[in-house]
Amino acid sequence: MSSISELYDVTWEEMRDKLRKWREESYRNSEQIVDVGEELINEHASKLGDDIWIIYEQVMIAALDCSRDDLAWSCLQELKRQFPDSHRVKRLAGMRLEALERYEDANKLYDSILQDDPTNTAARKRKISILRAQGKSSEAIRELNEYLEQFVGDQEAWHELSELYINEHDYAKAAFCLEELMMTNPHNHLYCEQYAEVKYTQGGLENLELARKYFAQALKLNNRNMRALFGLYMSASHIAASPKVSAKVKKDNVKYAAWATSQISRAYQIAGRGKKENKCSVKAVEEMLESMQITMS
Amino acid sequence: MSGPELLLDSSIRLWVVLPIVFITFFVGVLRHYVTQLIQSEKKVDLQQVSDSQVLLRSRILRENGKYLPKQSFAMRKHYFNNAETGFFKKVKRKVVPKNPMTDTSMLTDMMKGNLTNVLPMILIGGWINWAFSGFVTTKVPFPLTLRFKPMLQRGIDLLSLDASWVSSASWYFLNVFGLRSMYTLILGQDNAADQSRIMQEQMTGAAMAMPPDPNKAFKSEWEALEIVEHKWALENVEEELVSRDLNFTGLLSRQDRMVF
Repeated sequence: MSSISELYDVTWEEMRDKLRKWREESYRNSEQIVDVGEELINEHASKLGDDIWIIYEQVMIAALDCSRDDLAWSCLQELKRQFPDSHRVKRLAGMRLEALERYEDANKLYDSILQDDPTNTAARKRKISILRAQGKSSEAIRELNEYLEQFVGDQEAWHELSELYINEHDYAKAAFCLEELMMTNPHNHLYCEQYAEVKYTQGGLENLELARKYFAQALKLNNRNMRALFGLYMSASHIAASPKVSAKVKKDNVKYAAWATSQISRAYQIAGRGKKENKCSVKAVEEMLESMQITMS
Repeated sequence: MSGPELLLDSSIRLWVVLPIVFITFFVGVLRHYVTQLIQSEKKVDLQQVSDSQVLLRSRILRENGKYLPKQSFAMRKHYFNNAETGFFKKVKRKVVPKNPMTDTSMLTDMMKGNLTNVLPMILIGGWINWAFSGFVTTKVPFPLTLRFKPMLQRGIDLLSLDASWVSSASWYFLNVFGLRSMYTLILGQDNAADQSRIMQEQMTGAAMAMPPDPNKAFKSEWEALEIVEHKWALENVEEELVSRDLNFTGLLSRQDRMVF
């Protein structure tokens, strides 16, 4: 069984730095974290110094993702021994209980944290995730709304709420949540694109126009967002095909749609350069665009 | 007319100047750790955290509202500023003025602060004055008037001595104030690298220090929001976009996450 360091020829410092990068950028590649982290903990624990505690936390959460209860338990034991009264460690214990589907015990644990410290956001958010895991989405939505009333600045929570609303098909409220996110992160093209998709799903001429605008904004922020490009094409063609629009609006939208088509073909040409299947895929894209074209009435 | 240049014994430098620097420095470091140990935990009020986040949201609305559709912006502005039901108009927080004399927690904090800062300074200043008295330690590089003589030249009763020559007690005080930047250099680095200390603290979600009067903060935020107009940044976004080709460089670079 070869270890990571042999497989990739890396030193323990590089492994530790890689873990830190994954931690800071919130990657969720749990299997890799478990592999790298487990080896670091087992082989190089003494060299890590105080970094080891945060690595324990990171590896534990990844282990819960991969159903590695043995590893999660050992990490938790180490953390409990070092920080016996910490709320942060208690929360990790609660997460382990959640992973074992012992939701009642987990809830009791989180309630005890909240009794001690009513401002602890982590415990409240875990309780909401328990509701979501149990499928009680309306309760989860209600709890999350109450949470957001007090902590208006929590962006993770706004995103979670928008997902919950989308699942319930309540697009107007999902749009509201995404607007909050767009407001706080105006340069994030993904929020613009998601908002545009929700508006497109809502339908209706006004919403389609908004969708088109926000798809365009997402493209402006990141030229390579293919989804936004397709979205722009779809919304523009929809508006152009609608019977209620004026001639000028129709002309504009046809222009946008045509431009989007040319950019899509260009993208596929660039992507397929040097590959044998290029001709086929470019042709497939053209055919798809033709079939998607909504007939003008 | 400057006084005659005195030549000080070099053992003064070795046995007085340097020891005083070291003593001051280490006492300072010790003080820092003692303060950390006996510091009482700051109790964060839920109301304060919530209010600070609301103010932050209102500020962001003012700054980035132009990226939202007009109606959404109007909806939010209405929520905050409406004459009857607006948040800033309706919510009045009860402000309890914290009297330092009667508020017990503040009193103990003040006492602890005094204990850790003022007491060591007095003690060590006195000890240095007693142990290193009777001779001149150093010369300050700028001329001083005669009025400074009794203050800076404790224990030296020479009428004709220039006031620039000071005793060890004043050298000690000079160090106390001068080494403050050294502390931030050394102790600041210590805290940044020490992650295990953060492990014990609670993260309460971007809680800013609330001004003592949230009502005033609300009022000023209301005024600021009132005058903001919505100028939609997306007015001409499509025209700008279709005027040129998209830049697809880097379309194909896939980030292989395991590649070290």
